[in-house]
Amino acid sequence: MSAPSSTERGPGSGELVRLVAGREISTRLRDKNFLVGLGVTILLLLGLLFFQVLMSSGSDERRLGIVGDGSAVAAAVEAQGEAVGVDVTVVELDDEDAARAAVEAGEVDGALLASGPAPELLLRDRSPTMEAVVNAAVAGIAVAEQLAEAGVDLAAVPEVEVTALSGEDDEAEQEQVLVAIIGVVLLYGLLIMFGQFIAQGVVEEKSSRVVELLLATMRPWQLLAGKIIGLGVLGLAQIVIIGVIGVAGALAFDLVAVPGDLVGTVVSVVLWFVLGYAFYAAIFAMAASLVSRQEDLGSVLTPMILLLVVGFFIGLQAASDPAGTMAVVTSYVPGLSPLVMPVRQAAGEVAVWEIAVAVVIMLVAIVAAVRIGGRIYAGALLRTSGKTRLREALEAGRG
Amino acid sequence: MLEFDGLRKSYGANQVLDDVGFTVQPGSMFGFCGSNGAGKTTTMRIAMGLVVPEAGEVRWQGRPLDQRTRRRVGYMPEERGLYPKMKVGEQITYFARLHGLDAAAAARASAEWVERLGLGARRGDAVEKLSLGNQQRVQLAAALVSRPEVLILDEPFSGLDPVGVDSLAEALLSQVRTGVPVVFSSHQLDLVERLCDSVGILARGRMVATGTVEELRRREAGRLLRVVVPDAAPGWAAALPGTRVVSEQAGDTLLELPDGADDQAVLAAALRTGRVTHFAWREPTLVELFRGAVADPRTDEEVAA
Repeated sequence: MSAPSSTERGPGSGELVRLVAGREISTRLRDKNFLVGLGVTILLLLGLLFFQVLMSSGSDERRLGIVGDGSAVAAAVEAQGEAVGVDVTVVELDDEDAARAAVEAGEVDGALLASGPAPELLLRDRSPTMEAVVNAAVAGIAVAEQLAEAGVDLAAVPEVEVTALSGEDDEAEQEQVLVAIIGVVLLYGLLIMFGQFIAQGVVEEKSSRVVELLLATMRPWQLLAGKIIGLGVLGLAQIVIIGVIGVAGALAFDLVAVPGDLVGTVVSVVLWFVLGYAFYAAIFAMAASLVSRQEDLGSVLTPMILLLVVGFFIGLQAASDPAGTMAVVTSYVPGLSPLVMPVRQAAGEVAVWEIAVAVVIMLVAIVAAVRIGGRIYAGALLRTSGKTRLREALEAGRG
Repeated sequence: MLEFDGLRKSYGANQVLDDVGFTVQPGSMFGFCGSNGAGKTTTMRIAMGLVVPEAGEVRWQGRPLDQRTRRRVGYMPEERGLYPKMKVGEQITYFARLHGLDAAAAARASAEWVERLGLGARRGDAVEKLSLGNQQRVQLAAALVSRPEVLILDEPFSGLDPVGVDSLAEALLSQVRTGVPVVFSSHQLDLVERLCDSVGILARGRMVATGTVEELRRREAGRLLRVVVPDAAPGWAAALPGTRVVSEQAGDTLLELPDGADDQAVLAAALRTGRVTHFAWREPTLVELFRGAVADPRTDEEVAA
C-alpha cells in the first residue's frame, strides 16, 4: 500500500488552471495562422500610420528664412500661416547671399529679406500660399505700426467669437473618434477571433474525446477558466502590442494634437476589450460545448456573431452620432456596450457615471454568462455524440 | 483495496446500474465482462467522477474517491481521446502534469514511457500522424505516466493486433506486480481468463457473478460431462434419464447433468455402445460461464415482460 503522504500529491485549482492556460498559449504561439494574423494586423496598423504621415506632410509645412530683425515678422508669419492652415517654420538667415543659397538648395521654401526698407521675398518658383502668407504678415505689421503711430488703440478692435453649429467639431476630438473607430474595428476583430479560438478549442476537445481524460483530473470550470484565461492573456497581449505600436507611432510621427486624449482612448478600448472578451468567451464556450463536430459550430455561433456584428455597426454609427438614442441606449446593453461605449467616450459625450453604469451592467452580465455558460458547458461536455439541447445540458450541469 | 459499492444510476426510465459492487485487491487484475450496454462504461465513469451515481460510491484504501485522489488513478476511456495536433512527448508530459507531477518529473516520466512503449522515434510527431495502434500506446502512456496507484481501463485491448495485445498485457502485469489494482473491461473473454485474478460479469446493470475464475467454475462445475464414444450410433444418449445432450458430433458428446444425477449410469450406458475413449467432467470456459450468467432466466423474463 502506498504511503498516506501521497494524498497530498496533486495540483490545486490554481495550478490546474495555470496548466490549461499554459497549454492554450503555447499551442497558439506555435500556430502559424495565429502568428500570420498578428503580423498582418501590425503591418496594417503601420501602413495606416504611414498613410497618415503622408497625408499630414501633404498638409503644408513650409520653412521660411528671414534675413534681418525678424522676430516681429516671424510671429506674424506663423500666425498668418496658422490662419490659413499652413504650418510655417521660421529660420533666421545671416544675409541675402545665405538666403539665396538656402532657397537654391531647397533648405527653405522661401526667404524674406526684411532688413531693407522694402521687404523682398525670394522663391524658387512662385507660390501663391507663401506669397499670401508673407504679404499678409508684412502688411499687418505695417498697418499696426502706422496705426500705433497715429495713436489708434488696437485693443478696441473686437475679436470674433466662433461657434460651430455642428457641435464640438474640433480637430482633437475627431482624432479621438478616429482612434476609437480603429479601436472598435480591432475590438470586433479580436473578439470574433478569440471567441472562435475558444469555440474551436472546446469542440476539438469534445470531438477528439480528450475531454473525458481531462475531466478525470479536473472539474469543468477549471478547464473552462484555464482556456478563457490563457487565450485572454494572448488577446490582451495582442491588443496592448497593437495599442503601444499605434500610440508610439502616432507620437513619433506627431500625428495627434493631444497625446493624453489618444492614450486615454486606447486605454479605454483595452479595458473594454477585457470586459467584452470575458463575456463573449463564456458564451462562445457555452455554445460550442453543445456540439461535437467543428462542422456544427457555425450554426450555434451564428447568434453570438450576429450580436457582435450589430454592436460593430452601431459602434461605427455612434462615431457620427454619439448622442443619438441608438448609441446611448446600446452603450448600456451588455455585449454591445464594449463596441459602442468607447466611441461615445472618445466623442466626449459621456459622463463618468454613465460609464460606471455600463461597466457595472456588463460585469453583472459577465457573472451571469460565466455561471450559466459554465453550467451548460459542464453538462454538455461528456455528451460527445450529436447536438445537445440547452435544457438537457443545464440539467446535467446541475448534477 | 478498491471497492465499488452499491452503484445505482438511471437515465430517465432506463435503469443502467442496479446495485453494482465488487472489490479489487491491490496487486490483482480484475476483468470486467458484460454484453454491450450492460453498464461497464458507466461504472468506470462513476469511478472517475464523470458520471454522478444516484447511490453508492467507489472507495480506494477505505476512502471515497474524490477529485484529489482520482489523480492517483490512471484511466483509459473507452472512447480514446488525445489532442490530435499535439506532439506525442508533450502530450504525455501534459497529462503527467495534470496528475500532479512537477515539470521536471513529468518530462522525465514522459521520456521514459515513450521509450518503454517503443514510441521513441515518434516523440516529436503530432498524435494524428500516428497509426491507430501507436495512438493506443500513447493513450496507455497517458494513463501510466503518473505512476498511478490504481488503473481503470475501459476496453484497453480493443483494436490491438495480437502483438499489441501481448505487449499491453505485459505492461499491465508489470503494474500488477508493483501492487497496483487493475480493473479492465473486455469482450475478449479468453484474455480475461488468461490475465485476470478475478472476474465480474455484468448483465443488464446487475452483477450476475463475481469471483475468481476458479470460483465461478466450481459453482458451475459438475454439470458438463464429456464422453467420447467413437462406435456409438448417433442419438445414443438421448434416452438417458435426467440428462440433456448439449452437443454430439461423431460420438464426441457433451452432456448436461442436473445435481445429484448418476454419472456412473452414463458411463455404463456409454460402455454398452462400445469403446469409451474419453470420460470426464468438463471445466466450463469463461465464455460458457458468461453465456450462462448473461442468459439468466430471471432477467429474460423481465425483458420479455
